[in-house]
Amino acid sequence: MKQEMQFKTIVAQYCEVKPEEMTNEMRFREDLGFSSLDFMSFLGELEDTFDVELEEEDALQVVTIGEALELLDRLVEE
Amino acid sequence: MSTGTSAKEYYPLTAAQKMHHKWILDYKTQQVSGVSVVASLQAPLDFGLLKKCIELEFQRYGCMRIRFTKPDAKGEVKQYIVAKETRDIPIRDLSGMSMQDADNLMQQWAYETFDGDDIPMCDVTMMRLPEGYNGFFIHMDHRLIDSCGIVVMINDVMQLYTHFRFGSAYPSDLADFEMVLEKDLKRANNEKRFAKDKKFWDDQLDALGEPLYSDIQGPSVLEEARKKHGNKKLRAADIELKELFVAVKDYVLEPEPTRNLMDFCMNHQLSMTNLLLLGIRTYLSKVNDGQEDITIENFISRRSTHDEWTSGGSRTIMFPCRTVISADTDFLSAAYEIQNIQNKIYMHSNYDPALIEEEMRKRYHTPEHTTYESCYLTYQPMPVKLDNPHLANISQHSKWFANGAATKKMYLTVSHTPEGGMNFSYHYQTVHLEEHDMELLYYYMMRILFKGIAEPDMSIGEIMESI
Repeated sequence: MKQEMQFKTIVAQYCEVKPEEMTNEMRFREDLGFSSLDFMSFLGELEDTFDVELEEEDALQVVTIGEALELLDRLVEE
Repeated sequence: MSTGTSAKEYYPLTAAQKMHHKWILDYKTQQVSGVSVVASLQAPLDFGLLKKCIELEFQRYGCMRIRFTKPDAKGEVKQYIVAKETRDIPIRDLSGMSMQDADNLMQQWAYETFDGDDIPMCDVTMMRLPEGYNGFFIHMDHRLIDSCGIVVMINDVMQLYTHFRFGSAYPSDLADFEMVLEKDLKRANNEKRFAKDKKFWDDQLDALGEPLYSDIQGPSVLEEARKKHGNKKLRAADIELKELFVAVKDYVLEPEPTRNLMDFCMNHQLSMTNLLLLGIRTYLSKVNDGQEDITIENFISRRSTHDEWTSGGSRTIMFPCRTVISADTDFLSAAYEIQNIQNKIYMHSNYDPALIEEEMRKRYHTPEHTTYESCYLTYQPMPVKLDNPHLANISQHSKWFANGAATKKMYLTVSHTPEGGMNFSYHYQTVHLEEHDMELLYYYMMRILFKGIAEPDMSIGEIMESI
């Protein structure tokens, strides 16, 4: 839960939606207004914050907050 | 002009600032780092109040207070932010001139340089302009700010003005420049991130080998460089270092065709930058005998978080967008190929592009002052418009002025007009290029883009032949 909140706090730096209002179904581009640059910068910040390594091809498949959280959980566990 | 300078913190330049600083060193003039704009409204302004707002902006927007130390033996400088600028904000009255003459005069001011160490690198002048326009002219060093930062600043000044004048809400605080700078520098020093970024750029060279120069004027430019350096296999061409005068040619694409381009991007999940890169690279391919390996320098704003958007500073940085696209690739697939590489570049945009150049020099022993690129692109999704409901119905006159010294052979800035169109502003070195070259480039870029969006399954080769 702590990780999820930390994740959403980072997302909130890039958009106008507050962490507590974010749902797993929200799409980064269409619902949160991320540009390609925003999304890729955000991924870089995730790597630095959670000390994980994202495979670029996997990361580019991510569309929603839920998918990003799932990917992050998997990488942190690994 | 005095400053509060107690307990100054000295910082190295960021990669984006270093880019401008390197140009100043290479071209031996600060002129290459100048950025100037005028923002005005067709309405009377209370200049006493405007002056107060500009002074307040110097306090709110820390990047306006950056100064640089004396260069060391290698020409490197440190930056620091003075606590307070107590400087004059003069007023100039050009209301008796025609707007064209006023613009011409301001263009002359844009050529001026900030020469010296430990001095302010930002001038603001309040303006009475022709036809009842009033506003202010800003002249700054690009190491302090980029164009997105300037737009934020102009809007903030006008929000302060409408707050004091009409009682609108006081603008929200801007992010602290120094805090964002420290975060950027910390990130740049993260060894793990640095290694990942370096690997990405090195991998590209491992996979594709040495890039190949492509010129707007065709293969003769590379041939000349090969003769000059006595190397038939040379893949880079010379950079102009002496005759830097730049001319500007603007073309406006009307709102309806602009909408068509934007709809195409939206329907295919493409960004406009990538579509424009495809237009330019296809033109370069066409005029260079179908060359498939094309590199264009693309500027990235590196503003994504709220703090990055409102902290000012010079965050824009350029990276080479290199693609090898065969003539039988269809237009849409080619666009996705560019998008794919650009997305990866965005992820590695903390890297210092000077290190990419250094790596290429090490690998390929390219001669000093040569390049693989002739075209540079900036796409500005943000309109230069005073975004303020109190000013919504007032005519505006805003204009960016070229600094008059181009470090690049051709630099295209694409921005949106208040009417919904797009402005294509071509800055070109007059020693090598003429207005006619820009006409051709714009004409063919448009033919390529509109043919491509009309028939996205058509191959790049077919498009090049058909236009």
